[in-house]
Amino acid sequence: MSTMLRLDGVVAGYGAGDVLQGVDLTVDGGSVTCIVGPNGAGKSTVLRAISGLLRPSNGAIVYQEQEIHRRAPDEILELGVTQVPQSDALFANLSVRENVLMGAYIARRDRKLVERRYAEVSELFPLVGERSDERAGNLSGGQRRSVEFARSLMLDPSLVMLDEPSVGLDPKALKVVAAAMKRMVEAGKTLLLVEQNVRFGLRMSTHGVVMESGRVLMHDRADAVLNNPEMTDLFFGGTPTKAPPPTAARA
Amino acid sequence: MSTVDTVERIGLDRRLWRGVIAVAAVLLIAYPLLSDDLFYQNMIILSLVLAVGAVGLNIIMGYAGYISLGQSAFIGLGAYTVGIATTRIGGDPFVWVPLAGLVAAAFAALLGVIAMRTRGFAFVIITIAALFILQIVAINWDSLTQGTSGITLPLPRWDISIQNWPFYYTLIALLGASLLLSWWIRRTKIGTGLLAIREDEDKAATIGIDTPVYKIIGFMASAVFLGMAGGVYGYYIAFIDPTAMFDIVISVQIILAVILGGRGTLWGPVLGAATIEPLNELANQQFGGGNSRLLIFGGLLTLTILLLPKGIIPSVRDLLERRTKRGRAALVGGRLGERRALNGRPATATGGTGRNLLEVKGLHKHFEGVRALDGCSFAVEEGTITGLIGPNGSGKTTAFNLIGGTMRADAGEVWFDGRRIDRLSPWRRAYAGLGRTFQITRVFTDMTVLENVVAPLRSFSWRQLRAGAVSGEEAARAEELLAFAGMAEYRDERAEALSFGQRKLVELAQVLMLDPKLILLDEPAGGINPTLIARIAEMIRELNAQGKTFLIVEHNMPLVLGLCEPVLVLASGECISTGTPDEIQRDQQVLDAYLGADFQLEEPVAAP
Repeated sequence: MSTMLRLDGVVAGYGAGDVLQGVDLTVDGGSVTCIVGPNGAGKSTVLRAISGLLRPSNGAIVYQEQEIHRRAPDEILELGVTQVPQSDALFANLSVRENVLMGAYIARRDRKLVERRYAEVSELFPLVGERSDERAGNLSGGQRRSVEFARSLMLDPSLVMLDEPSVGLDPKALKVVAAAMKRMVEAGKTLLLVEQNVRFGLRMSTHGVVMESGRVLMHDRADAVLNNPEMTDLFFGGTPTKAPPPTAARA
Repeated sequence: MSTVDTVERIGLDRRLWRGVIAVAAVLLIAYPLLSDDLFYQNMIILSLVLAVGAVGLNIIMGYAGYISLGQSAFIGLGAYTVGIATTRIGGDPFVWVPLAGLVAAAFAALLGVIAMRTRGFAFVIITIAALFILQIVAINWDSLTQGTSGITLPLPRWDISIQNWPFYYTLIALLGASLLLSWWIRRTKIGTGLLAIREDEDKAATIGIDTPVYKIIGFMASAVFLGMAGGVYGYYIAFIDPTAMFDIVISVQIILAVILGGRGTLWGPVLGAATIEPLNELANQQFGGGNSRLLIFGGLLTLTILLLPKGIIPSVRDLLERRTKRGRAALVGGRLGERRALNGRPATATGGTGRNLLEVKGLHKHFEGVRALDGCSFAVEEGTITGLIGPNGSGKTTAFNLIGGTMRADAGEVWFDGRRIDRLSPWRRAYAGLGRTFQITRVFTDMTVLENVVAPLRSFSWRQLRAGAVSGEEAARAEELLAFAGMAEYRDERAEALSFGQRKLVELAQVLMLDPKLILLDEPAGGINPTLIARIAEMIRELNAQGKTFLIVEHNMPLVLGLCEPVLVLASGECISTGTPDEIQRDQQVLDAYLGADFQLEEPVAAP
C-alpha cells in the first residue's frame, strides 16, 4: 500500500493555545485508520486541519503528493477528501434524495455526472433508493448516518473522514453503521475515523493511532493498539484481556 | 466576563488600564472648565446621554442577550415626566429627574412582564411596538402632553457664564451611576443569572434560575438611569415633542454603541457611544443630517458586524490573548486531575428504599404528528441507579424534558417526592431536588469553571440576588465539588477552553451544587473516552452510596448493565419492560426492539 496522506509536524489551534503540537501521521491508500485518545487530545482537530477548515500555523499536510495545508476547503474537497461531521447534519425537512444530492453541490452544473453518481451511491446504499422521497427526519439514527455516508460519496472521494460515527447510536443502529462502513471499504474508499468507542473503532480498522495532548503517541496495526497494555491502562479503561463482565458472572 | 479581569489575566498591568480610564475621566470632567466651546460641550452632552443608554442596554442585551429596540422610549418617558411635572406642578426641572427614573423603571417592569414571555425576534418586535405606542399616546393625549405642539420648558435661570455645566455634570454623574450599577450587577447572583440566560435559557431554568424575575430586573436596570438622562436631556433642549423624544434612530444608535464597543463588557458601551455621537454630529453638520445619518449608521453597523463582530474591546482582548497563548499548549489536552472523595454523609449500603421518588403516569407528547411519548409510565425507586434505555427516537430525551420541566406534556402526570410537579416551572423542580444534565454538554462557555459550578440556586430569595456571585459557603462547596470531579486546577479557566470530556465533569459538579435528591443524566458516556467513562461511573457509585438516586439514559450497554439496576426500556414512546440487567438481556421484546437478536455483551468498559 502506498501512502495517501501524510502529516508532518502539524501545529494548529483555535486561538487559545495550540491544540495540535506537532502531529506526524500517515494514512495508506485502501486502509482504515482509526484515531483514538482522550477528549481534547486533538483528534477532531486533525480532521479539521486535513479538510482545510483550520489552517495549521506550522508543518505540512501532503495528500497524494500535493501540499494541501494552504488550500481552501472546497479545493481539498475537489481533490477527493470528504468529511462526515460528528453531529447529525442531515437536513431533517428535506427528502433523502435532496440530502444526498447536496453532497454533489460543487459539481451541480454537470447534471449527467450527478445523476450517474447518485445511481452509483444508491446501488451501494439501497436505503437511499428505497426511501428517496422520505423526509430525512423520519429515518432512524443508523439510517440517518448511512444517508450521511452516502452523501459524502457523491463527489467520488478517495479519502473519507468520519468524526465519531458511533456517537449517540443505539446497539442496533451501530450494526447498521458498521455494515455501511464495510461497504465503503469494499467500494475502494480509504477511511480515516475518530472514535471514542475505542473497541468499535479499532475493530473496524486496519490501523490505529493513539493521540494525547496534541501529539501522536502510538501508530500501529489496529489489533496491536487495542491489545497494548500501556494504552489500555491510560486510555481504554479496564483490562485488555476479556474479563467477564459483572453481570455475566451472575447470569 | 469583565474586561478588567481579562486584561489582568492576559498579563497587562491592571494599573495601566485603570490609569487610562482615570485620565479619560479627568479630561471629561475638566473639559468645560478649560474650554468654552459650546459645539463640543453639546457633542459631549449628547454622547453622555447615548452612553447612559448604552451602558443600560448592555445589562439586558450584553449580559442577558435580549435586544431591545425600544430604549429611546425611556428617554421619551423621562423627558415627558420632567416636562409635565415642571409645567403642571412647578419647581426646578432637576427636582423631577429622579421621578423620571422611577417612571422609566416602572414602565420597563410592566413591559417586561409582557415581553419577557417571548424570546428572540418576538422580544425585539414588542419593544419597537412599545416605543411606537408611547409615541402615539404622546401625540394624541393632547390634554397631558400638548400633542404635536410639544412642551416648552423654561430656560435655565443660572448665569450665562455657567453655560451648560449643570447638564454636563448631572449626566456625568448618571453615567458614573450606570457604570457602577452595571459593574455591581455583573458581580452578583443577578449577573451570573443573566449571563446564564444569555448562554442557554432552558438550561438556566433547570439549575434553579427564576428566569422571568431575572430578566425583568435586568430590563428595569437598563431603563432607570436612561429615564433620568432623558429627563435631563429634555430640559437641556428645552422642547419636548413626540417625534424627537421617541426616535427609533436613537434606539438604533444605542444598540450600535453596545455592539461597536463590545457586548457584555463594562466599558465597551461607553467607548461605542463616544465614537458614534461625533459621527452623528458630523453627519448633521457636513451631510445635512436626515438620510445621511441612516446611511452612516447602517454602513457602520454592517462594517462592525463584518469586521469586528464582537466589538472593539473583545477584539483587542482576543488579539492580546492570541499573542500570549501562541506556542503554548491548549488546555483541552491536559490529563485528568486527581479526584478527591466528597465530604458529607458517610457511605451507607446502596440499594432501593422501597419508596418511589419519581413516578411518571401516562405521559403523552406529540410533535407535529410524531408521537414522541405515547402513554409512558414508569417509577424510579429512591436510592437506586435506574437505567433508561431504548432505540434512537423512542422518547427518552423527551421524557427527561417533561420531568425536568423544559417542555410541558400534552397529558399525563409527573410525581416527585410525594408532590405532583408537572405544572411547576423548571426552577421550582430544581428547588424540590431534581437535577439534570444534557446529552450534549451545555456548560456556560463564557463563564469560568468556578462560576459555572456556583451558578445553580437551591431556592429563590431577594436577598440572595444581591449576594456576590462567587462567595461564602457556596464558593467553598463549589471548590469541593470541582475537586470531587478532578477539575480543581481548571477553576479559573473559561469553560470555552475545555474539551468535551472536561465539560461533562464540570456539568456534573454543577448539577451537584443543587444538592438534588434525584439526578437525571442524559448519555453521560456519550462521546467521551473509556477512561473518563470509568471515572464518571465511579463518581455515580460514590454519590449513590451517599444517598443520591439516579436515572440514566445511556447507549453504552456494558456501562448500563454494569451500573444500573433496575433498567427501564422505552420503545415507541412507551415503557415496554422493567427488570434487572439479566432479565433485560433475556427479554425477547427488548432484544427485538433495541439490543438486536444477536446481542452479546462486550467486556465492561467501566469496570469498577
